[in-house]
Amino acid sequence: MKQLLILIARGWQLGPSRILPPSCRYSPSCSQYAIEALGKYGALKGGWMAFKRLMRCHPWGGHGHDPVP
Amino acid sequence: MSYFYPEAAVPAPVTPETGAPAAAPVASTSGQPVAAGAATLGGEAAAPRKVDLKTALAGSNRVAIDTPRVAGSINLVGARIDDIVLKDYRETVEKDSGPVRLLAPEGTGVQYFAEFGFVSGGARQPSNLVWQADGGKLTPETPVTLTHTDAAGVTYAIRFAIDKDFMITATQSVTNNSPAAAIIQPFALIKRTSTNATIDQFVSHSGPVGVFGGTLWDPHSYKELAEIGQEVPEGSPDWLGFTDQYWLAALVPGDGKGNVKVDDASFRSLPGDLFRSDLLYAASTVPTGGTVTQDTRLFAGAKESGTLDKYEDGGITNFGLAISWGWFKFFEKPILWLLRTLNGLVGNFGVAIILLTVIIRGLMFPVAQKGFASMAAMKAVQPKMKEIQERFKDDKQRQQQEIMKLYKDEKVNPLSGCLPMVIQIPVFFALYKVLVLAIEMRHEPFVLWIRDLSAPDPAHILNLFGLLPFEVSGFFAIGPLALLLGLTMWLTFKLNPAVMDPVQQQVFALMPWMLMFVMAPFAAGLLLYWVTSNILTVAQQSYLYSKHPQLKAANAIAEKAAKG
Repeated sequence: MKQLLILIARGWQLGPSRILPPSCRYSPSCSQYAIEALGKYGALKGGWMAFKRLMRCHPWGGHGHDPVP
Repeated sequence: MSYFYPEAAVPAPVTPETGAPAAAPVASTSGQPVAAGAATLGGEAAAPRKVDLKTALAGSNRVAIDTPRVAGSINLVGARIDDIVLKDYRETVEKDSGPVRLLAPEGTGVQYFAEFGFVSGGARQPSNLVWQADGGKLTPETPVTLTHTDAAGVTYAIRFAIDKDFMITATQSVTNNSPAAAIIQPFALIKRTSTNATIDQFVSHSGPVGVFGGTLWDPHSYKELAEIGQEVPEGSPDWLGFTDQYWLAALVPGDGKGNVKVDDASFRSLPGDLFRSDLLYAASTVPTGGTVTQDTRLFAGAKESGTLDKYEDGGITNFGLAISWGWFKFFEKPILWLLRTLNGLVGNFGVAIILLTVIIRGLMFPVAQKGFASMAAMKAVQPKMKEIQERFKDDKQRQQQEIMKLYKDEKVNPLSGCLPMVIQIPVFFALYKVLVLAIEMRHEPFVLWIRDLSAPDPAHILNLFGLLPFEVSGFFAIGPLALLLGLTMWLTFKLNPAVMDPVQQQVFALMPWMLMFVMAPFAAGLLLYWVTSNILTVAQQSYLYSKHPQLKAANAIAEKAAKG
C-alpha cells in the first residue's frame, strides 16, 4: 500500500507535474512531501499527512518551507 | 481470489431422462430435492448459415412487437427476441435514415438476439423448436405467451410482457402432465457478433458487462474474451449482457437482486466473432401435476441514464452502472444533469456545452483571481527578489530556498498551489467522460457544418472543406475545430503567467500542435468544450492583466530571468 502511494506520487512528478505550470507554494513540493511522509510514517499516517498538506496547498493556504516533521 | 469458478459451473454428469436423482450435489444449495441437470449451455460447433436481414425477418413464424419506443418481432422458432429497432434513435444523422437496429436474427451480418428455453433432464431444447403463440402482437397492454408440449406431456410456456421503455419480462413456466417427474432448468441467453460493436475505450466500455454480487464486472473487451474463451464472474448474477457505447442488451434473472439459484451465469466466445452470455437456472424437480415458474427480464435498448436509474430504483442492483461512469460518478451525474437542463433551456446541445463550460470556468475564476492578486503583491518585493537571483546565480537550490524564505517573510506567494489543479483534474475528466457517455449528445447538431456533436468534425481542411475531390483520412483529417483547438491552446500558453524552465517551454511550444492531431478524431462536442475552455482562459488572463497592468512587464522580466 505504501509503495503504491509512493508510486502514485512519483507518477505525478514524472507525468502531469512536468507539463503543468509550476505551482508549488511550499518547499518541498506536495509530491515530495508525500513520498517522504509515506517513507517515514507508513501508508496510514504518512498518507493522512500528505492529504492534509495537499488540503492546505491552495491560494488561501500557507506557503514557504514546510518539511515533513 | 481462488474462487473464480463457483462449483455450479463445474461440469456435472448428465442424468438420463428417467430423472433419477444423481449423486452429484449439483443443486444442493437450492434446498429442493437434489436434482441433476446440465451445468452449462455448452458451446457451439459451427457458425450458422448466412442469411440476409430481409429474408430472415420475412418468415411467417413471427409475432410483432410494437410499443411507443420499440418495434420488432418475436421469432417463434427457438423463442427468440431477434428483431428490435429503437424508434427514438436514427441509424445515421440523416433525417430519413431508419431507426437503430439493436437486435437482429441469427446468421445475418449484424446478428444479436436473446433466446429463452428450457433444459429438461439435462438436454437443451433444440433451437429450431417452433413454439405456439396465443396472440398476434406484443404491446405494453397485450402480453404474448408461447407454449410447447413435448411428447411426454410436459407443457413449457414463456409469457412475454413489455413495458413502455426497453424492458421485456419473460415468465418461463413448466407444467408437468407426464407420468414421471421432470428435471427442469429454464435458461436464457444473449448471443451476438462483435463485428458491429463499438470500440472498447478507456472511458467507455464496450463488451461483456454485468453486475455480480452487487459489483460491476466489465474487465474484458470482446478480443480479450475471445482469448480467454469463457469467463464465469464471481458472485450471484444481478444482471448480465453486452454493452455498446450507447446500447445495452442484458438479462436480469429473477428480481435483479441476486436472489436466484443459477447453475451458470457466464460469458463465452464462440467461433466466427460470436459471443454468448448464458443464464442457466438451477434444476428443480417438477413432480407429476406440478408447476415451476421463473421470471427473467430482458433489457434491449438505449443507455439513457434516467431510464437505467428508473430500473435500478425498481430493484435491479446497480443497473445504472451499465453506463461506465467509473470513479468520478459523483462529479459526472450532476454535470450530466446540468447539461440536460441547459439543453432543455436553450434547445441546442452545442450551446449547452458552451454554457456548461462557462459555468465550470466561472466556479474556478476566484482561484485565478487570487493568483493574480498575490502576483500583484509580489511586484512590491521584486527588487529583493532580483537581488537574491543575482546573489545565488550559480546555486539554483540555494536560490530556490532563499526565494521561498522571502515569500514567507513578505507574506506573498504568486503560486496558487497544487490543490486547485488536483481538484480540477477529476472535474474536467468527468466533463470529458459525460460528453463521451451521454446518449443525449448523439445526433445533436450545433451550427453550420456540425450536424452531430458526438461524431468527429466532418469538415477537413486539407481538401478545402470538401471543395477538392478527395477524401482526407487518418492522421491528416484535421477539421476546423481541431485547428481552433490548437490555436486557442497556443494562445493560452502564450499568456500563461507562470515562469518556466527551458524544457517546459519546449513542451508548451509543441503541445498545442500535438494535441491538435491527437484530438481531431474525437467527438466534435469534446473539441467544442475544449475550444470554449481555451477561449475563456485567454479572456480571463487578458481581463486579469488589464486589472493588474504592472504584471505584464513583470512577467516579461521574470521570463527573461528564467531563460538566462
